[in-house]
Amino acid sequence: MTETIQVGTEVPDFTLNTYEPETGDFGSISLSDLKSSGKWTILFFYPADFTFV
Amino acid sequence: MGAELITVSCDTHFTHLAWHTVEKELRDVKFKMGSDKTGELARSFGVYIEDAGLALRGTYLIAPDGKLLFSEVNFLNVGRNIDELMRKFKAALYVSKKDEGIPSGWNEEGDLTLKPSAKMVGKVHEALANDGNPA
Repeated sequence: MTETIQVGTEVPDFTLNTYEPETGDFGSISLSDLKSSGKWTILFFYPADFTFV
Repeated sequence: MGAELITVSCDTHFTHLAWHTVEKELRDVKFKMGSDKTGELARSFGVYIEDAGLALRGTYLIAPDGKLLFSEVNFLNVGRNIDELMRKFKAALYVSKKDEGIPSGWNEEGDLTLKPSAKMVGKVHEALANDGNPA
């Protein structure tokens, strides 16, 4: 069991496969890419597709 | 504002495409949809429900340096308020540039902030009523 990430600590790098509505295509996004482009990241988890968000 | 919002569930990116294509409510939603099929990311934030394979409604803000600045988790049946999310994001952005504290009633730049000091101890009420001065 991995430790839950605490507020105030560094988030380990992650990569996710994505669907990107802007382009209508698949892609992938990683925290390290977002960090190196100086961006803030908001992760918005929801239970599952085809349910209300 | 230099932020990337990524929606994440434990579905595949193929299902994301199918849902986004079919559900008219999502027509104008342009956020990237991340696939956490194994639940690994949800688990690392403590929002993975093991016996259901679902993620709780967790919201996380990560600064450009990688530090986690806030988390909010709702149970499955309570939706989130985007205005409250934006308020907290703007607050985090503001204090990343200035060494000040954000009171609960703060909404946007220009609203009263507090500068922590010895004089402030026990005088927050006075400071809030007196333009930030604890005198």
